[in-house]
Amino acid sequence: MSQQCCGFMFQRMALCVALIGLSSSCARLPYTTKVVHEDARVVVVLKQEVKALIYSHPVQLGPAELTDILQGFSFRPKQRMPLRWFAEENPPKPVFRPDELEALTGRLSEGLRAAGPGERVHFELHAPGLNPSLSRDVVGGWVAVRESYLYLTLEYVHVQIPIRKADLYDYNYPTPPPPPSEYLLYFEPGRFWVADQQGVSALDYRAFLNAPKIGASPGP
Amino acid sequence: MSRRAQWCFAGWIFLLVACMTPAWAADAGRLVEKDGKYVFVESMDPATKLLLQRAVKQGTITQEEYDNVVRESQERTYLLQPSFKAWYDRGFNFSMNDNDFFLKIRGRFSFRYTQRYRNEAYRESGDSKNYPELLGVFGDYRAGRSGDQASTFNLRTARIYFMGHLFNPDFKYYVQLAGETAENAQAPGALSVFDMNVTSTHIPWLNVQVGQYKVYFNRSQINSTASMQFASRALAMDAFTANGLNRRDVGITIMNDEEVYPVTYYLGVFNGAGPLVNRFAQFSSEEPTEGCPGGQTGGNPFPSPAGCPTNQRNLNANLRSNVNQLMYVARLQANIMGRAGYGEGDMAYSETPQMVVGGAYAYNPGIDTSTNNAFVGIDLANLSVRRQLAALGNGHMLGQGVVDFSTWTLDYAFKYRGFSLQAEYWFRNVIRQNKELPCMQTAVVGGPCTVFAPGQFGNATGWYVQSGYYLIPRKVEVAARYAYWDPDTHSGGDLIKQVDLSLNWFLSGTYDHQIMVTYSNVAMGQGGFAIGRSAPLPAVGATFPSGTVPLDARAGTLIENAIRVQYQIFF
Repeated sequence: MSQQCCGFMFQRMALCVALIGLSSSCARLPYTTKVVHEDARVVVVLKQEVKALIYSHPVQLGPAELTDILQGFSFRPKQRMPLRWFAEENPPKPVFRPDELEALTGRLSEGLRAAGPGERVHFELHAPGLNPSLSRDVVGGWVAVRESYLYLTLEYVHVQIPIRKADLYDYNYPTPPPPPSEYLLYFEPGRFWVADQQGVSALDYRAFLNAPKIGASPGP
Repeated sequence: MSRRAQWCFAGWIFLLVACMTPAWAADAGRLVEKDGKYVFVESMDPATKLLLQRAVKQGTITQEEYDNVVRESQERTYLLQPSFKAWYDRGFNFSMNDNDFFLKIRGRFSFRYTQRYRNEAYRESGDSKNYPELLGVFGDYRAGRSGDQASTFNLRTARIYFMGHLFNPDFKYYVQLAGETAENAQAPGALSVFDMNVTSTHIPWLNVQVGQYKVYFNRSQINSTASMQFASRALAMDAFTANGLNRRDVGITIMNDEEVYPVTYYLGVFNGAGPLVNRFAQFSSEEPTEGCPGGQTGGNPFPSPAGCPTNQRNLNANLRSNVNQLMYVARLQANIMGRAGYGEGDMAYSETPQMVVGGAYAYNPGIDTSTNNAFVGIDLANLSVRRQLAALGNGHMLGQGVVDFSTWTLDYAFKYRGFSLQAEYWFRNVIRQNKELPCMQTAVVGGPCTVFAPGQFGNATGWYVQSGYYLIPRKVEVAARYAYWDPDTHSGGDLIKQVDLSLNWFLSGTYDHQIMVTYSNVAMGQGGFAIGRSAPLPAVGATFPSGTVPLDARAGTLIENAIRVQYQIFF
């Protein structure tokens, strides 16, 4: 092959390397700094924010308080247009069931106590998947507290997530977990679901916890 | 697959789906969200639940009675529910007999537009050495020549998958049917069985896979085409498969579970002849007198062994002499950090560094690149094997008689926070069983050799390195690759160099749904000697069965620039 052709290709290679190098300062995702708890049912980890967000962590919120807070949340999957028109017809569903709250709140409380100002507290609730050898059922997201606001972001609500990195049957095909989904969150009583200074929806948890409680209905 | 078989298969699928109607499945209400005990918590009829709750409030029943009736209702629902489930999750899933039997049906489709520009050398001489076309029943050589531009739409991938487990989750099966055509195919594709195998995973350190599948040899081939950083593999990647003929083969592999152990081994024994075929597809020609090669009408082949009579009968392809040979493959891989897996790119946005190194060796003896007779490389024999060699770019080896492939590979991959780096090196030792220089011409039929090939065929070597980064994690990636390939280390001017750049958009944040725009530059040297295509051409006296003008008479470096825009969905 001619030297001219070689030079041409090496120029392109250099261009590729430069392009990749320049792009290495692009978008990043929060990364795990500490595993607070991990077992077959619950995983709670701390993740460092990549943006300069300062929370009021560590925060003392007991399991009972967290149960009161979290059982008030409900959700709807956020749909794209035009599916959104039809999705609006579906009433929101509670995010957590009582058994899930029971498993989660203690560990979440522990995480909020251990988190630093730049860390969010991620949680995942695991259950057997529809094909237990292939996937697990996951409810996951993260919480953070700043001043009197509690932020909850849902990433997975009963999503089937593969247990293995490669497909259980198609060994040559990797199965990364699906990226987090978007959900619309609601809180009852609605007056405590407010916008913070930046306009982000958050729960005014102090006001909520200080408000008089209404008796819960019986049954699961 | 015959038309009748296709109809039977379609009918079977229809019955399967019909039997699992949503109405049947929905009666128990178990498919709403959860498996196991979590299903039953929400399965009680809402009206009954409301009445019971009001009864508790009114004091008609106690809380204890309420709890008991709810529990009994849940147990009843569990006992009454059918023992199968159907749902969609990366395929249509059917689980039967409490997950003792599982079937997942998937489909993969990729649609590609290719805009290709080639230099004048492609028009003048074309490629007759690496990717020659073998036409007619005698498989005579043709050079792939074309005009300077090509604009094509292509159904690059058309696959249907059936996979799952039988009896219990540790006895797995996998079937892959393919109906696509290659980008430069000259005939429509047909449905073909790519994979058909079963795997026992009962013992994590001794998994056993039998059937037809991709040989666990080199990283770039083990990886699925669905999880790549470029629209196509590099040409060099295809050339260095374990058997040298195809990435798939029929055989057995034992291995340990890659996701359990830090070091993974693979040991395999295969036919070494490619998919859907075995060594009986390879043959040579012999006269009725044993040991006297045959294969042509006009007389004995050359150089005719001493004691062989003059031409006895016109016998072609009547001897299968290497059916006792098998291919042996061993691969060892170590996960130095994390588990990088085989997929290209860091789709999962690894929070911790993932690094893996691997190496493998494959020995595939007795590949008959042509029968060793007068019409070297153009006789009737072994079209299956010869076409497989040509399809993967190993056309230089055609006409070398029976050869043994001894192939080594080393590979490396690193992934971290959206960045990936991957490289692979190959070396193939090509051992000709006929040790002397190939005889190209004799003065008379069966006579002593007057002209030999200019040199022995050498070995083959190659490598590539590729890297990528996700500009938007899990969504948008840029990638670059450089591949180098020397198809004959004894020849000069035959190097094949390839540069690729790709911009990839993964629409759903997984490999399942993607759009790729890949630019490729390939420079293919046409130097070196190739039997039947380069001078001296085979001849007996004044008879030149391959013609008198070599196909590389005006050889130059073939340069191709191509942009491939590919949409792929794996559902």
